[in-house]
Amino acid sequence: MTTYILRRLLLMIPVALLVTIGIFVIIRIAPGDPVRTYAGENPDEATIAAVRTQLGLDQPLPIQYAAWLSRAVQGDLGRSFQTKQRVVEAIAERLPVTFELGAAALLISVTVALVVGVISAVKRNSVIDLVTTSVTLAGVSFPNFYLGLLLILLFAYVVPGHLLPPGGWTPFATDPGDNLRRLILPAITIATASLAVNLRQVRSSLLDVFGQDYVRTARAKGLRERAVVVRHALKNALIPVVTIIGIQVGAIIEGAIITETIFFIPGIGRLAVQAIPSQDYPIVQGVVLVSALSFMLSTLAVDILYAFLDPRISFGGVEA
Amino acid sequence: MSGATLPVVLPARSEGRTHAIRYFLRKNPRMLVGVVLLAILLFVALFAPLIAPYDPIKVVVTDALEPPSIDHLLGTDDLGRDVFSRVLWGSRVSLSVGLISVTIGFLVGVTIGLLAGYLGGTFDLLAMRVIDALLAFPALVLAIAITAALGPQIQNAMIAIGVVAVPGYARLTRGQVLAVRSREYIAAARTVGVPPLRIVLRHIFPNIANSLVVQATLATAFAILAEAALSFLGLGPQPPYPSWGQDINYSQRYLANMKWWMSAGPGIAIFIAVFTFNFLGDALRDALDPRLRRSG
Repeated sequence: MTTYILRRLLLMIPVALLVTIGIFVIIRIAPGDPVRTYAGENPDEATIAAVRTQLGLDQPLPIQYAAWLSRAVQGDLGRSFQTKQRVVEAIAERLPVTFELGAAALLISVTVALVVGVISAVKRNSVIDLVTTSVTLAGVSFPNFYLGLLLILLFAYVVPGHLLPPGGWTPFATDPGDNLRRLILPAITIATASLAVNLRQVRSSLLDVFGQDYVRTARAKGLRERAVVVRHALKNALIPVVTIIGIQVGAIIEGAIITETIFFIPGIGRLAVQAIPSQDYPIVQGVVLVSALSFMLSTLAVDILYAFLDPRISFGGVEA
Repeated sequence: MSGATLPVVLPARSEGRTHAIRYFLRKNPRMLVGVVLLAILLFVALFAPLIAPYDPIKVVVTDALEPPSIDHLLGTDDLGRDVFSRVLWGSRVSLSVGLISVTIGFLVGVTIGLLAGYLGGTFDLLAMRVIDALLAFPALVLAIAITAALGPQIQNAMIAIGVVAVPGYARLTRGQVLAVRSREYIAAARTVGVPPLRIVLRHIFPNIANSLVVQATLATAFAILAEAALSFLGLGPQPPYPSWGQDINYSQRYLANMKWWMSAGPGIAIFIAVFTFNFLGDALRDALDPRLRRSG
């Protein structure tokens, strides 16, 4: 198990390096001179040259990359062109908001997927199953930003008494009640996108397991259906579901970018979106880096958890 | 059976093919539904200038913010532009971005996958690490980063979504090539001296094409959704040109005034387009590749 984790960690290093090269290149190919953005309104040539040297942009690209990487590893991702705030600070301030939103979305998505997925698989081909599978197919195709707007329309404007606020954010520490009220709609918006995938996975892996001999044995020895489903089938069916949930972390970050914009939530998604029109590349770079690293770490966590849950794959090799 | 040789009449090739397609569609009714939906989408996109009742960018201030009516089926926006006409025209953006970006992803990804799978060795190792790195990004985040860097333009959105689609094809192709490579017919072709390029194109590619078609269809659904998201964030085609995502973003400011119809048209249009490709992809998977068929 330890060897497996170590090998998996070692394999992550070249990929992480390639990811940083990718992010560095994407930002460097951008049109427009960051020096001009940084040097303020109508700078003279001397100022431009000074800023260029100060930012290290007069060096060859590989040296610029090495310098950027060594600073990044030490937690220095530069400063925002616009606010001059340190990128790490700007992200750290907003990360808890995105994290809370993402966790709430994941909780909703997984809970609903488990409950509905199990019912759907147990009552296969029933009306519930039919409705679930159709709604699921519709769910993967529905643009979540439009869903967000519909939810705002419905709960903030149409329903009498303005049940929930149309957007904005209150930190949990300030007012837990208001925090939850503002969390519900955006969390549902993000959850819907991954819910469809999770639900499908729960249903189909349960159906797979129902066909296995040990489930038949459990039934044959007279266990109640509930015990068969919960104790025998679900336990094994959840292994592939764990993998899918790990991949959902990526979807949640994507969802956060759009959803935070719609609901005016001060998370890292909105930070990136606001930075784009003003070409505030250090911010965009920072958010993309944090997203990629969180996604990589969640995939790693899932791989390890997967090996732990299903010992057959942990020692056979890395290709889990 | 008599020993006499009877003349064999082969049907004309095109007739045979039409018959085969008809048979295939009859055998797979879900495919038929998907194909009809796709045909409607393509028809709307191709003939938008003829079907659209109004000019999608013409400002008619006197008609501003009218709810749906006989004159304006989906109402008008704050500049008096007909929402229905904008939705019809918007299909051109969505479908062209979807199809072109998927083509970019397909060509690059499949080429990498074929080479990596067939050649193996160092190329395989290096190419797959690059693919792993691409997969380390959440897809939409990468698309946003690339489009933001290249500049908010429709061509850049196509490139960005195309790049994001590459890993999917590359991995799928490589896996399939590895499975096919060890088959006897490939060994036979190699033994009789068929050059590698010909083996890849004539013997390997046709045998893995089915799964690639399924992947391409599902990737188009993702591409349309991604284009809508990029446009929603202002990274797609620029105003006043109609685009579904951008129109939904624009409508947001009138939500509090209950002008719901401004976003309903484009929102439902995105849903229909994405649903069509998802549905068709699912149906194709069931029809073409029974091994991939999901249980249940």
